[in-house]
Amino acid sequence: MGRITAPFGPQHPVLPEPLHLNITYEDEKVVGLSPAIGYVHRGLEKTAEKKEYPENVFLVERVCGICSFMHAMTYCMGIEELMGIEIPPRAQYLRVFYSEISRLHSHLLWLGLFADAFGFENLFMQYWAAREKILDLMELTGGQRVILSSCAIGGIRRDLNAEQIDTAQGVLMQTEEELKRINPVMLNAYTVKQRTVGKGMLSREDALLYGAVGPMLRASGVAQDLRQTGYAAYRELGFAPVVETDGDSYARALVRVRETCQSIELARKALERLPEGEAAVKVKGNPDGETMQRVEQPRGELLYYIKGNGSKNLERLRIRTPTFANIPSLLKMLPGCEMADVPVIVLSIDPCISCTER
Amino acid sequence: MAKMISTVMSNLTHCPKTRLYPLEERQLPPGTRGQIEFDMTKCIFCSLCAKRCPADAITVDRKGKTLVFNPFRCIICESCLEGCPKDAISLFSHWRAPVTALYEQKYQPEPGQAGD
Amino acid sequence: MVKALMVVLLVVIMAPLLGGLLTGIDRVLTARMQGRVGPPVLQPFYDVLKLLGKEALAANRRQVAWALGYLVLIIASLALFCLGGDLLIIVFTMAFAAGSFVLGGFSVRSPYSHIGSQRELLQMLAYEPVLILLALGVYLQTGSFMVKDLFHQSQPLLASMPLVFIALLIVLTIKIRKSPFDLATSHHGHQELVKGITTEYSGPYLALIEVTHWYELVLLLGLAAMFWTHPLGAGILLALAAFFIEMVIDNICARLTWNWMIKFTWTGGIILCLINLGVIWVLRAGGV
Repeated sequence: MGRITAPFGPQHPVLPEPLHLNITYEDEKVVGLSPAIGYVHRGLEKTAEKKEYPENVFLVERVCGICSFMHAMTYCMGIEELMGIEIPPRAQYLRVFYSEISRLHSHLLWLGLFADAFGFENLFMQYWAAREKILDLMELTGGQRVILSSCAIGGIRRDLNAEQIDTAQGVLMQTEEELKRINPVMLNAYTVKQRTVGKGMLSREDALLYGAVGPMLRASGVAQDLRQTGYAAYRELGFAPVVETDGDSYARALVRVRETCQSIELARKALERLPEGEAAVKVKGNPDGETMQRVEQPRGELLYYIKGNGSKNLERLRIRTPTFANIPSLLKMLPGCEMADVPVIVLSIDPCISCTER
Repeated sequence: MAKMISTVMSNLTHCPKTRLYPLEERQLPPGTRGQIEFDMTKCIFCSLCAKRCPADAITVDRKGKTLVFNPFRCIICESCLEGCPKDAISLFSHWRAPVTALYEQKYQPEPGQAGD
Repeated sequence: MVKALMVVLLVVIMAPLLGGLLTGIDRVLTARMQGRVGPPVLQPFYDVLKLLGKEALAANRRQVAWALGYLVLIIASLALFCLGGDLLIIVFTMAFAAGSFVLGGFSVRSPYSHIGSQRELLQMLAYEPVLILLALGVYLQTGSFMVKDLFHQSQPLLASMPLVFIALLIVLTIKIRKSPFDLATSHHGHQELVKGITTEYSGPYLALIEVTHWYELVLLLGLAAMFWTHPLGAGILLALAAFFIEMVIDNICARLTWNWMIKFTWTGGIILCLINLGVIWVLRAGGV
């Protein structure tokens, strides 16, 4: 059989995001590929220069529909550093709580989509049913299901009351139980292992060489997680990154499964130790100078560069998202794999193209 | 795989987890950012809300005492609520029903009201 | 002759109704297994009616001809089955029908359709030997390839050929396109191949393929029912049980690759059949 060139995306049933890979197959084996992005560029970085800096919190939240809170938090951390604002400890703990439930819902979403990539619809539904509880929790605490809008410069806009904390603890505990039922299928089922073990190998050296970030990097045996730097309240809560050494799709799924459990634990710990006091401080003045902020998103390292000039508008806002950093590794992993494994491998980097193109 | 069979069987014998949405609506928790409404008896047309709105959904004509609100630009971020000095904006925890044509809401001071 | 014509007419009219209904039940039950509400039972009929109402667009005329060939050959094999015809001929007509479907997939230029067609061929390679061994088993047991002679059996076929029945379940999984074997069209999965062999069909022609799948479903369940002919009700129950088992398998498995499918059907399926046939043959030799 000769060579066939088939497009993967920008419209593809497995990945509802416009990543375009033109893949050349020879007997269902990938022999060549060329990537293309740029289908959903929205010019958010430029828009941010036109808006006033407090309004940008809502703008950067819309960079990504899944990890919206993390974007807002990174931006706020940057502006707070520029303006020398010390945010109250309660806000730090709440930020950890919101980050971790965002990570939880993002990982559950990914685990579901990953199951869908190898044709396991039922597992997909089970993960999404579990995720629904987390979305309800986000609605209860933040006011909306995905775009939380609860982070603001100077702290957290919505403080939690005792009743909400109780409900949140309950939901997190229930989710943990639910995951104990679902996770073994993802990790032990024969058919699942057939499709994930040994697919999309990325060695430790390659992961470092191609600059992989997040669960990709950790699945290849590098213990790097920006939460180790101890931003927000991570230093007080204690944190050790999840590491696997196999570097295949299964290891990446395993890292994420273990991280969901870790997220539940961290979120619960943050709620238990939640200090009393105000959740936000008043902000006055305008940002001046430049700063770089890094935060661990569900997909890896998120980088914000903010430059202010003493006016209400920023001079420059630059965002680098984890998917952008992971695409080179994806291009390394794909050649030589089977056609059936392409969706699994593409999914294993957890691509978020809206993030990437901003 | 045995685990999955038990999941399948328990799903089969229990009620579905999904809802038939338009027929069955879920009770949203209080505080859900559903939609905002303006109370014209309190509004003083100071235009602080318009200034704070990140989506430019509100335009205020201070002279003509009119406030135009575009619900389809609104991102329900509550910025206007926080900025309003008279608490004239309130939040409702139910979503705006889908429409087939876009519209703008025009607010004017109600007759017999001390607007100034 | 008149009676035969009546039977054929009945098959042509009733089979798609039954097949569509079964597909609808399948969709509802699958949804329930996943914790969803699912569509109405009659949804497959609504789908087909809607497809029929769409503009008839085909990539080329050959494509339509092959799709029609698929339909006609499947109806022919189903009619033969209901008339109690020769099992070998039924199996070969089914193979011809599938071949027609494959050629329809090859007649367009879409790479997805081509890869889907190649996989359909591989699937035929995987299940045809099992079906032929099944026919052989029926011959060994009854001394005839005719389906109607099965009704003279005092003992159900299931008792003497349980392993062949398990092999038939594997074939069913492939033929009604369930996980782990929904490779050619990715019927439920639709992931790597978009829609595989049916990618380039649309509107009424897609409806044609859908209706053919209904006929095929009835025929396949008929093959399962054949294992218990006395009383026929038990056979029908057996077929429905097989259908339910397929749904469960679909819901507990990920889709696997074609290499795995070939390995599994050729080792698992064929060996099961051969062992079963061997046992029958030995028992027969011992008995005589």
